Amino acid sequence: MSVLAYTPFIDPINAHSWWYLLIVPLALGISAAFKAVRCGDMRRYPRQVLMMTVQIVAGVVALAAASYAVLYWVIPYVTPMPGS
Amino acid sequence: MSDTTPERIHPFAALAALAFPGAGHLMLGQPVRAAAAAVGVLGLFFGGMFVGGIDVVDSREDQIWFYGEALVGPVALGVDYAHQHWFKAYGRDLRADPSAAGHQIILRSGYPDEHRVYDQAAKKWTWQPAPAGQGPPNVKSLAKVNEIGTLYCTLAGMMNLIIVLDALMPTRGRRVVVEPAGGDA
Repeated sequence: MSVLAYTPFIDPINAHSWWYLLIVPLALGISAAFKAVRCGDMRRYPRQVLMMTVQIVAGVVALAAASYAVLYWVIPYVTPMPGS
Repeated sequence: MSDTTPERIHPFAALAALAFPGAGHLMLGQPVRAAAAAVGVLGLFFGGMFVGGIDVVDSREDQIWFYGEALVGPVALGVDYAHQHWFKAYGRDLRADPSAAGHQIILRSGYPDEHRVYDQAAKKWTWQPAPAGQGPPNVKSLAKVNEIGTLYCTLAGMMNLIIVLDALMPTRGRRVVVEPAGGDA
């Protein structure tokens, strides 16, 4: 078999530069499975899945922003490096 | 007030859900819910394989993660069987010091310059230097792509556990409004 041939589901995709975007289908899959058992009225299922997906992605983005703020602003403010 | 008390225990529905995602709810007469559960769990599982390749389902090299993935059921066990038997072969363990003599022979994935050859004498597949233009049957995923693919598949198993429990003890989840007897307390 040629090493250049790409076979879906057998070989990995080249997502090394945009891996963080994979949180969106991950959140969608989690929401689809979770709401399958938690949704009372299945007519509202698509809307609830979409809502939960947005909530997960927004939560992760907020956590990322908070981590960035702590790492780049709070810690340098609390413990300034010599010469900075 | 919400009622989350299980209606009844359904062990056969739980077994069906373990055998195939969504089959438990199908047994309980909820085909739409069953289809939604199957699409969610299998979408996550095969989504993980799409991202990280078959390498993300590996009971030998990623044993702890595989415990979670195995909750998807026979689908995950079958993928792992295929990975171990059709994509791996025996070769020297090059993770050890390359200068050390006598590397241990282990079952592993192939390197880009190797291909699988059946050793008639040893009666097993082995890795041999590949001719030009050939290589192993799959590319091993690395770094973030491997981590995210493994995460997808493990979360698929964990979501299926929730679905199995819901098939076993259906609460409908679902915040059924129950009027208190005799009016407001």
